[in-house]
Amino acid sequence: MQHRLIQSVGIAWTVLFSAFIIWIYATEPRNFKEVTAGAQAAAGTYDIDHARFNAALDLFYREEFRAARDEWKAADPGRRDARTQFYIAYSFYREGWHYLYQDDDLSKQGLEAVNRAIELSPDKTLVVEDPGLQMRTAVELKAELERGTEQGIGDFNPFKVFRPRK
Amino acid sequence: MTTRARSRNRALLRYILLPMIFLTVALLGGLRIDAETKAFLFYPPPLITLIFSVMVMLLFVRGRAVEIDKWLRSDQPVLTNGSHALTLLTLYFATAQAFNTVMPERGLLKALFCFFLLWTLWNNQFSNFDARRLLRSLGVLFGTAFFLKYMFLPSLFAPGGGFVKSVAGLFLEVGTLGTIDTLTFAPVTGYVSFFTLLLYVAGLILLTPRPEPEEDARALIRSYRTLPPLEQSAVREAIAGPQPSAALEAREPQKRLDAVEVTGELVTESPSEETQIRQK
Repeated sequence: MQHRLIQSVGIAWTVLFSAFIIWIYATEPRNFKEVTAGAQAAAGTYDIDHARFNAALDLFYREEFRAARDEWKAADPGRRDARTQFYIAYSFYREGWHYLYQDDDLSKQGLEAVNRAIELSPDKTLVVEDPGLQMRTAVELKAELERGTEQGIGDFNPFKVFRPRK
Repeated sequence: MTTRARSRNRALLRYILLPMIFLTVALLGGLRIDAETKAFLFYPPPLITLIFSVMVMLLFVRGRAVEIDKWLRSDQPVLTNGSHALTLLTLYFATAQAFNTVMPERGLLKALFCFFLLWTLWNNQFSNFDARRLLRSLGVLFGTAFFLKYMFLPSLFAPGGGFVKSVAGLFLEVGTLGTIDTLTFAPVTGYVSFFTLLLYVAGLILLTPRPEPEEDARALIRSYRTLPPLEQSAVREAIAGPQPSAALEAREPQKRLDAVEVTGELVTESPSEETQIRQK
């Protein structure tokens, strides 16, 4: 009887631990905070720091993009909130936008963030109702960021200076 | 300790502790720490490490470090077979991750490591192994790979190294046409890897060839039968000890040899045929 109990506990423990390892390798958390946040998200108890999120939004509208990103990262340490990731991506887009060119490196980082946002949103569609933004869906933002990383003959078009920042 | 307590402890080891050890190895085997950001990086086991792991499992079975027919038996309950299968499965993945932790992540060095590990494991398939030798051999294999990956190579490519090291690293890189392509991780990665390997070896030491160890005498006989003839005779002598009858038996051929020698001497002293003819 005792052996059976030990066997059952052993099987349950092994299966749980294996599932945890598979989850870790699938989600690839970068630090212990992300591990905790991921566990909270899996349990349905994860929530961002709303005060920090709003503070970051203020910074974003004042065009303090780097500071805004830092605040958003602190508000969403697990990178589990689709809306926050969308705003992070948007900040990369706006910071990288210039009249003559779009910064490749920032566009790439923005693409990573917007891809995360799309992955996290239900049905892979994300709409952010914010009147201060001209692109309100994640796919629009993604397309714009992808355009920023592509190189072609269009880069030499002098009329590019007239394109608007969204 | 009573028989019941001993049996309970064995069950705890087999069903809980061993899977936990092997799964911890499986978790940590792919963990690296980024040198700049100190972020976790997880490298899942490459396909080649899964193949290496199959080869090591075959070695375990051949060397009787794992007696598979005793772990999985048709006359055991399903629950027992299931938990034994899980323990062996965790051993398989732990072995794959132990290889993963000592192998470079990419480039020419990864190919070289793969080649030499494959060569060694393939040769081992045809060697005469017992469980202890196999464990020793694996310890040396992992130890050497660990030394090369975490001690020798970083000393060549470390950015803060001296002039001679930098030149040696540069020559190595130029000599291999830039295919070396090493990744540099934070030093703590080496510590994690060392701990992982220690845990793996500890797990192997705790792993008994069969779930319920057989009686000592039978185990001894079984081990004796796996030995080569020369070692079998050494064991026989060691067990028998200095017995008078055995000692006498052992001295018997020597006596006969002495007698032959004595006879020979007598023959040489007797007059030869030529002498006898001359005397006649």
